[in-house]
Amino acid sequence: MSKSKNEPKPPRRSFLAVAVALVAGGLAAVTPLAVGIAAFLTPLFRRRETPSVRVALLQQVPDDGMPRSFPVVANRVDAWNRYPAQRIGAVYLVREPGAEKPLALSAKCPHAGCFIGYAPGAEMFTCPCHTSEFKLDGARVHGDAEVSPRDMDALPVELREVGIADGLAHVEVWVQFLDFQTGHKEQIPTA
Amino acid sequence: MSNRRAKLADWFDNRTGARKLIHEALYEPVPGGARWRYVWGSTLVMAFATQVITGVFLWMFYSPSTTTAWESVYYIQYEVTGGWLLRGLHHFMASAMVVLLAIHFVQVVWDGAYRAPRELNFVLGVVLMLIVLGLALTGYLLPWDQKGYWATNVGTNLASQAPLVGPDLKKLAIGGSDYGHQTLTRFFALHAGVLPGALVAFLVLHIALFRRHGLHVRNPQRASTVMFWPDQVLKDSVAALAVLAAVLGLTVYYGGAELTAPADPANPYDAARPEWYFLFLFQFLKWFPGELEVWGAFIIPGILVVVMLAMPWIGRSRAGHLFNVALLCVLLGGAALLTASAVRDDYFAKWNSQDDVVAMNDPAAVAKYDASRRFLDAKEQAEQEAERVIELAGGPDRIPPTGALTLMYDDPYLQGPKLFKQHCAACHNYEAPEDAPPELAKLSVPNPNPTAPNLFGVGALPWNAAFLDPDLISSAHYYGYQGSPFAEGDMADYVQGEFRDELDEEQHAAARAAFAQVAAAMTAEAQFAPPADEGQADDQAIAAGRKLITGGLAEVLDSGMTCIDCHKFHDEGSNGYGPDLTDYMSREWLIAFVKNPADERFYGDNNDRMPAFAPHDDPRRNQLDDKSIELIVDWLRGDWQRPDGESNSAP
Repeated sequence: MSKSKNEPKPPRRSFLAVAVALVAGGLAAVTPLAVGIAAFLTPLFRRRETPSVRVALLQQVPDDGMPRSFPVVANRVDAWNRYPAQRIGAVYLVREPGAEKPLALSAKCPHAGCFIGYAPGAEMFTCPCHTSEFKLDGARVHGDAEVSPRDMDALPVELREVGIADGLAHVEVWVQFLDFQTGHKEQIPTA
Repeated sequence: MSNRRAKLADWFDNRTGARKLIHEALYEPVPGGARWRYVWGSTLVMAFATQVITGVFLWMFYSPSTTTAWESVYYIQYEVTGGWLLRGLHHFMASAMVVLLAIHFVQVVWDGAYRAPRELNFVLGVVLMLIVLGLALTGYLLPWDQKGYWATNVGTNLASQAPLVGPDLKKLAIGGSDYGHQTLTRFFALHAGVLPGALVAFLVLHIALFRRHGLHVRNPQRASTVMFWPDQVLKDSVAALAVLAAVLGLTVYYGGAELTAPADPANPYDAARPEWYFLFLFQFLKWFPGELEVWGAFIIPGILVVVMLAMPWIGRSRAGHLFNVALLCVLLGGAALLTASAVRDDYFAKWNSQDDVVAMNDPAAVAKYDASRRFLDAKEQAEQEAERVIELAGGPDRIPPTGALTLMYDDPYLQGPKLFKQHCAACHNYEAPEDAPPELAKLSVPNPNPTAPNLFGVGALPWNAAFLDPDLISSAHYYGYQGSPFAEGDMADYVQGEFRDELDEEQHAAARAAFAQVAAAMTAEAQFAPPADEGQADDQAIAAGRKLITGGLAEVLDSGMTCIDCHKFHDEGSNGYGPDLTDYMSREWLIAFVKNPADERFYGDNNDRMPAFAPHDDPRRNQLDDKSIELIVDWLRGDWQRPDGESNSAP
């Protein structure tokens, strides 16, 4: 289509018209986007709470230096749902001969977050994903040559006495179920 | 008639300009003639169209939340008419797309088709490739099964290690600090909305620029120029059909896409691997220890993508083009080698015998063997779990509103062996007899050095009969375990005494017959659900056995003793010496026994080493919760839902 001579010439562009067009159109387009992005960013404004969890009775962790796996059971909130008493993870408890408190090791691999495995009787923990190996105290078998950037994460342990029955003190093992970022030499808590 | 049709067509064209559009789309000159080598771009468009079509139909069934994602995919796979085919096409076409992308990319680089004026279109192509990989990554999670869940877990943890923005990026991707509903809604929005939208936008630009510059033809003199329609369209269509046939073949061969057990954040999956086309990256990461990982996960792949984007400019000189081709060979060859080595690592234990590996005398090989064994075992276990949960989901009770995980957690068949291994197997053996059928033999949880009786078939007739058999009672599976105080205890003496050499054959036979009836009566106490295919047990034998227990034995046996001299049985006898035989090994009896075997009702002071797992009313003081004990007991008694919907008796 060729231009006709009768076509009106474009009006002289005034600075004001351009500015208003840009601002009005821009606002119309950007407002919904901004609102959407604000909603999208919600997770950044939420903080995770670190639960203290009763993991076991002390009598379930004999002081034989062998790791035992215990589920971490706590209430969990997922968006609109609240799940009472859910398995939210696992810890290994290891009590050295004569030690009063067990060591609690998070089963989450510091490398990429896989579940570190332990076969009863084995001499070390192994991660099934990228084959990191850890000694029974959580230290990396190959030190800095290991794929995992740090040793297994030890979690704070607290012993709580709940009462005496059959002449035996019942002591519970409570663990603060901290979560750390993977892939770093230092323990950086996840928010 | 034809005149009217032409008029109508004119009217339509006048208002839409459709003729010109169609002409522009179809009458693109192809210098040198139509060729098979030009089909790859078109097959990619066809593959994407397939993904859009199958994806939209899948969308009509899919429900993204942690309690409905797996469940709705299960529904698609097993209940929707042809659902397995729909999902299979979507799954395998995704793989085909990655392969086609690689071919398209190789061809463009090899031919130097990225050179001016096509540089920007090459950049668009690389962007499209990244979008397709993003679609693959997000789609893998959506079934919310163990495989997708744990693989994505690793993927997003790696993303969180990106410099500076990593942790926030991960939170935004998974919609919070933990995986949950919001992870699925976000991944789904990316997979079905954002990424396909972006792909369409970039594809339109890609094709527009392609049309602007025309085909990249190496030898226009090869044959006379033809039009895109119909010559090249014919070749493109045949190629598209061939791709579809291959995808259909794979779908039918594998019976559709795999659906592993529902994602369980508390139940690690040791065989978590990304989809095959990302395996090379997975294997690559094993080379980067500690904090060097950021190099393997971001810096090196990032540099490679930047180099790829720069290829058109690098390739302006002949040396640069050769560099690009060489880089391409290194990349593809490296990816192939890494993929092969990842597969070789995982299947090492399948392809090498343990003896050969031990004979190598190489600790690294042994470690590799062990890792591979764990991978294969985890894979097999996950497959069995998936099979079971799918079986339950299809059962008469369907899936509860709390999701398929509840089905798994409440199923004695799945939870029993795990709980048994954790709490019982250190002492007890659970071993099927050698002549057991394979479906029972596979349930075994063997313990080579048991310090307690074998619990396989506990309470069933063979088990009860063994405790009344002079040859078996003190054998390893019953009272003859290591360190047993019962191997030469009163019960063993009592049974074996009746078969002393001093007594004649007739007395032996009488004792044997009486004990058989007692065993039948004891089995009735366990109150197993009657087997579907058999009639009631021998009522006469049971009645006779009960009479023997409550006094009759004294007249038959040389010792003159009967069961109620040491045991309680319903209204006769009393507790305090041997365990109560009333409802012996019934569900209620076993649960109470596991809670506290040292109770006066059971072994009292004679209890061997068995711990009391739940002796207290306050659950906090107990080692095991009631539900776990019930699951163990139901499993031991073979009381779980069978595929035909019936509960059944002991194995």
